Amino acid sequence: MADESGSVLELQGITKRYPGIVADDRVDFDLRRGEVHALLGENGAGKSTLMNILYGLTKPDEGEILVGGKHVSFSSAKDAIESGIGMVHQHFMLIPVMTVAENIVLGVEPVRDGVLLDERGAEERVRELSQQFGLAVDPTALVSSITVGQQQRVEILKALYRGAEILILDEPTAVLTPQEAGELFAIVRSLQADGKSIIFITHKLNEVLEIADRITVLRRGKRIDTVSRQGATEEGLARMMVGREVLLRVDKAPASPTDVALEVKDLQVVDERNLEKVRGVSFTVRRGEIVAIAGVDGNGQTELVEAITGLRRIASGTVAVRGREFEGHFTPRMMIDAGIGHIPEDRHRRGLVLEFNLAENIALHDYDRPPDSKRGWLYPARLVQRAARLIKEFDIRGGGPLTLARALSGGNQQKVVVAREVARNPVALIAAQPTRGLDVGAIEYVHRRLVAERDAGRAILLVSLELDEVLSLADRILVMYEGRIVGEHAAGAGEEEIGLEMLGGRKEAA
Amino acid sequence: MTNHAQPLQETHWAFQPKAIAVAGSILGLVAFWSALPPFTVRSPLVPVLIGVLAIAAGLWAVTRGTRRLGWGAIASGVIGLGLGLLATRSSSGNLHVVFAADLVAQVFVFATPLTFGALGGMVSERSGVVNVGLEGMMLMGAFWGVYGADKGGTWVVGILAALAGGGLFALLHAYWSIHLRANQIVSGMAINFLALGVTGYFFEQLYGNQNIPSGVSTVPNVAIPGIDHMAYLGPAIGDLNLLIWVGVAFVPLSYFILFKTPIGLRVRACGEHPRAADTVGINVYAVRYAAVVVSGMLAALGGAFLSIGFGGGSFTENMTEGRGFIALAAMIFGNWRPFGAWGAALLFGFSTALAYRLPVYSSSAATLFQVLPYVLTLIAVAGVIGRSVPPAADGQPYVKQ
Repeated sequence: MADESGSVLELQGITKRYPGIVADDRVDFDLRRGEVHALLGENGAGKSTLMNILYGLTKPDEGEILVGGKHVSFSSAKDAIESGIGMVHQHFMLIPVMTVAENIVLGVEPVRDGVLLDERGAEERVRELSQQFGLAVDPTALVSSITVGQQQRVEILKALYRGAEILILDEPTAVLTPQEAGELFAIVRSLQADGKSIIFITHKLNEVLEIADRITVLRRGKRIDTVSRQGATEEGLARMMVGREVLLRVDKAPASPTDVALEVKDLQVVDERNLEKVRGVSFTVRRGEIVAIAGVDGNGQTELVEAITGLRRIASGTVAVRGREFEGHFTPRMMIDAGIGHIPEDRHRRGLVLEFNLAENIALHDYDRPPDSKRGWLYPARLVQRAARLIKEFDIRGGGPLTLARALSGGNQQKVVVAREVARNPVALIAAQPTRGLDVGAIEYVHRRLVAERDAGRAILLVSLELDEVLSLADRILVMYEGRIVGEHAAGAGEEEIGLEMLGGRKEAA
Repeated sequence: MTNHAQPLQETHWAFQPKAIAVAGSILGLVAFWSALPPFTVRSPLVPVLIGVLAIAAGLWAVTRGTRRLGWGAIASGVIGLGLGLLATRSSSGNLHVVFAADLVAQVFVFATPLTFGALGGMVSERSGVVNVGLEGMMLMGAFWGVYGADKGGTWVVGILAALAGGGLFALLHAYWSIHLRANQIVSGMAINFLALGVTGYFFEQLYGNQNIPSGVSTVPNVAIPGIDHMAYLGPAIGDLNLLIWVGVAFVPLSYFILFKTPIGLRVRACGEHPRAADTVGINVYAVRYAAVVVSGMLAALGGAFLSIGFGGGSFTENMTEGRGFIALAAMIFGNWRPFGAWGAALLFGFSTALAYRLPVYSSSAATLFQVLPYVLTLIAVAGVIGRSVPPAADGQPYVKQ
């Protein structure tokens, strides 16, 4: 495996320029037969561009690609597929209304009677492959009816069906639950045992150390280094990724909570289909503490946050901010005025208006009141002034008050949201998945900021799907499962116990 | 659930909710039909009984999850029962005027342009390009069809000219909406106005103010030996225009191509998730171009039927009179499926044919009947009988990375 001559793939001096930016700058990369080679880097480091070049979706400006020692030039995905390269995209390339088998054979369909699509043959072939590689899926099921983890297996089968020897997995764990991620790692190992070579793209350090044989780190389009897993540490990799020391553990003093800022009582919420999503949740958050809600995605966290912030009507129960009680129908504006700040889980859909500039985005709450506007007149200069001050204070990079939000990186976009919410001096700050999709440096910033706001006397309610994040930030931990709070823990509780509760384990044991 | 449903599904196909629902829909028709010639049952009991049976079948299917077809059966039962009841109370003389056997032939005549148009629209939209320009492409087919037949001396040349005219405008629509990524609705409407102008201009230029000379070669009728002289069947289907049969044949043909061949799978993939198709090496642009051009050619055949098929070798300005839009409605009502679109085209054709004959009873009722296609389309779009679901990427230009 460690033999130099066993390279199945080599990229030499790949360069790709886009207007105003060099996405990849003379990047070298090589893949040996049967190895898992991780490509590690922050968002925008050039990982995806490099892989799109390798998969024929983008053409490099300079550089060579060698597959099995031979020079190749790809002008479409078809060429890459023919060279034995398969890619599992981060956003699955599957058609929900078609069956698993149809999705897998699309483009290389088996034919019977000269012209007809051989559905039976396709299903048979998929069954064979899924047995051969231990990827259990039902070929006749519609893709829309199977889980995300199964969809990913379909994507892998799609590549294997086309005879892929080299598999590119692009951020494969981003959409998976911890259990599904574990299953994926098992699949990757079995593929490796079958002699497949795998490129594993990620920005998660723990995954790299778990699965990779070698690790190549990219930063701002440049290859920083290629190291073997032996001897690599999370700290060392993080330094290479970000280019400076990164604090992976959050430094914080013990909390000193004071009076109750947010109190939720017997809250019940239903979703659009009238299904009960929050089933009688009660908790309090005091000033000066971070309360985190842990749980697997889809257990009512989203609805809970939407209810507290007034975005979703509640079925019953009350929400109290600083003792002021709200029940029945209340609006987001009422909650904002009561002193709630909200960092939404989807900053593109709810956090920002991407086609507005930063000054306008920051003014979204206060545009209709002095000093932003008076007697129906808006004073844009004041918006810009305030934005300029916050941009400096919150270290927002990549643009000024008049830059469109769309033009910023994910981390800086999130800083704009944080700046807007914190600048209004809320009593309680609700942070829903505040680091989703952010890179290591930006995560560090958001974490430090949340702790600082706690120390400034705000009540912080953190909702996160990342158990690591919950464990490192929270002063108290609530575990949510199927719309209920099933456990409460002080800071420093064990990962095992919380993880089990997240899966409803305690309920079964009881 | 779906993983393990396999062995349970081995019940006989006739007892599946889908089959029952279809049977219910047919029973609803029979309820009405029983009171009409040639049977002309005069007792109200018969349509009521059959209608109730149809409704029961529909309910059974709905409770077993076959909602769309089930509700269809219920609707069919209710309508069949009601109309059948009305028919038993009407004079049988009137019935024989309205529901003569050639009503069937007339339904086919009115339905054929819609069938071609709806199939055309379906091909284009399944590949992801909205085709509001059907009307214009149909009009091109109508004019160039008659021009080709006139100058070329035979209807075969007429058909070829129609295909070329419709295909050319479709190519234009494809270039605008695929290549230039223009708004597809706007592009389609532009096609419609352009076609109106172009055909009007050439009609004026080539034929002056006179009509198309009489005696232009037209698409022949097909007399089916053995059937053409039979009672009822003879006047119904014994002597229909060739293009009507071509249209009927295109329904199963397009079904097989779209759903049973690799080409169809690829076309549908482009309409659902073009990037997914691209990543497996399918040329999305090529597929969409081809689908749009075929779409225009199909619509043009519908237009040719108007001028040199049923029309007997004539042309008037704006000859299609909105049939392209009704075809679009039929496609939506048929849920972007060949048999569904055909069924809708027949239904619309039926209501138009009936509207021509109902003045025997009341002229206002006849006018009201002409509204039926639009009402039905509104119902279908509003999702009362199971929502119509367009292809996911319908109308979205595809941009390669």
